[in-house]
Amino acid sequence: MTARDAILGAIRAAAVPPASAAPALTAPAATAGSPDMHEEFLRVLGTVGGRGVVRRADQSLDQALAALLGDDRDGAVIVRGRFAVAENAAVYVDAADLEARTQVVLPEHLVLVVPFDAMVPTMHEAVRLMPATSACGWFLSGPSKTADIEQALVVGAQGSRTLRVIFDVA
Amino acid sequence: MNGGHPEAAATFLRDAPRAAWHDDSLWFMRERRDRATALPEWESLRTAGAALKAHAMSRLGELLEQFERQATANGVTVHWARDAAEHNSVVLGILQGAGATRVAKSKSMLTEECGLNPFLEASGIEVVDTDLGERIVQLAHEPPSHIVIPAIHWKKEEIGELFHRTMGTAKGESSPDALAAAARHHLRDALLHANAAITGANAIVAETGGVVVCTNEGNADLGMHSAPVHIACVGIEKVIATRDDLGVLLRILARSATGQPVTAYTTHVTSPRPGAAMHVVLVDNGRTARLADAEMRSALHCIRCGACLNTCPVYRRSGGYSYGHVIQGPIGAILAPAVDLSAHRSLPFASTLCGSCGDVCPVRIDIPAQLLAWRSRSAAAGTLPSGYATIFALLGRVLSSQGNFARTGRWGRRALRWIPAAWLSGRWNPWTRSGRELPLAPTESFRESMRREGRLP
Repeated sequence: MTARDAILGAIRAAAVPPASAAPALTAPAATAGSPDMHEEFLRVLGTVGGRGVVRRADQSLDQALAALLGDDRDGAVIVRGRFAVAENAAVYVDAADLEARTQVVLPEHLVLVVPFDAMVPTMHEAVRLMPATSACGWFLSGPSKTADIEQALVVGAQGSRTLRVIFDVA
Repeated sequence: MNGGHPEAAATFLRDAPRAAWHDDSLWFMRERRDRATALPEWESLRTAGAALKAHAMSRLGELLEQFERQATANGVTVHWARDAAEHNSVVLGILQGAGATRVAKSKSMLTEECGLNPFLEASGIEVVDTDLGERIVQLAHEPPSHIVIPAIHWKKEEIGELFHRTMGTAKGESSPDALAAAARHHLRDALLHANAAITGANAIVAETGGVVVCTNEGNADLGMHSAPVHIACVGIEKVIATRDDLGVLLRILARSATGQPVTAYTTHVTSPRPGAAMHVVLVDNGRTARLADAEMRSALHCIRCGACLNTCPVYRRSGGYSYGHVIQGPIGAILAPAVDLSAHRSLPFASTLCGSCGDVCPVRIDIPAQLLAWRSRSAAAGTLPSGYATIFALLGRVLSSQGNFARTGRWGRRALRWIPAAWLSGRWNPWTRSGRELPLAPTESFRESMRREGRLP
């Protein structure tokens, strides 16, 4: 008997009674669709060690990038984020938009450019926006970090040292 | 490890300042978790977490087959392994087939459970654990002492000394920033030059065929997207049905584990990148036996967040190694007896049954109920820790009769007032041995004093 057959056989033999699917959860009305979602996103992003801005109408994207990056322009990689999640400052990046998958983790400085309108309140809405045929996708929330040494937060563990988000108004 | 939680805990507690420091470190994590879970919908999220796991367990075979179909269609090779030995030989086979000799591994409790590292090293394969905490304990030739924070028991000065010896950092350097920077250099090198990457999985999604890996350091991503071969080692209980379920899981996992709203990197990978290979090894190793055990089944819901460790007054004051099992704390104390009840006989008793573990569990595993159930099974199997059977038999007679209880109390109070204090607090008494004093016994019971005051009808 193969391992596969043995394991599936043992599962059948366990005869677990049916259990209904998890109840569908939606975000509470207080945060869903709130006009303050960008504010919430930027606040949470600050708490996870990132920085973000909304591009002003009088700025070009280049100007906004220059203002946000400062001296970190060298070594910065700019990638497209598909959408953002207000509750946890995560931005969804899909491998289809990258030259290499390591681009989300290898650069010293990572910049995510996200369309202003592409914002959902929580992960419940976010997982539904993941492309059905995605080969690889990420929710990125702030830069790489570790607290493995006496719980002292150190930003820039193995991945990017900084992570910045620009909301781009179309 | 032969039934030794109390003995190991006593050793841990001998260094009182260090034990207090350990306790504080974990309570800090518990408080972070409390702040992060202060959401109006938190309790319904826990209910949804419990439901999605119960649902997945009730359709486990079907979901694993769906995952396998999806993943195979996506170009992933799916393997199955009945036990640790089979898992290890499958992984070795993949590595040898790919000619890989240098492995960068990210955090995986399953590979700890299976003893993968020593097995691969014995076959001439170099394995570098790339999570900083795991690298610390690997360099020190120790197992993790906490499932989420493997080196929680290490002080920064000791890590400085370890890194000085192993990575050549400056003598006496102990700032977390400097040590983490040295580790970044050292680990990036290992990650980018490995010819295979091994990761665990926080979940696999039947609907998408995707493997979900959560890290804060980014080490799993650096490894799996650089190396020509990625192997994900996954316990079969990690499968969930849908992306909707993933949404719930991702909302509860990091909040419970580290008090973050989500991890820095949450990767959902369904296909290898062009030119690379991806393998998933689905491992049983006792999980189907647990599935068949209705009373203990829900322990399979565990998402390894570590919240029950951080909150447990016994874990915080006894340390991970006192459990003598790959998974520590309250969840370890209900998982280990299923592996070997006799060897882990002391673990169901390594709890005050205060219930805090059950209260913080994001998937509502009733850990206290299972601890109690393991105690009953231990009694039935005759594997109670030595002395417990006699004590429980006596206690049972005292507590099951009001007359016996009142009489024993009366004799006990009298005896405690007559026996010399020096003898009562002698070496034989574990209560006073750890520095506590016995209070003077009262002359009457609560019931007696209430009756004397005329307040008892």
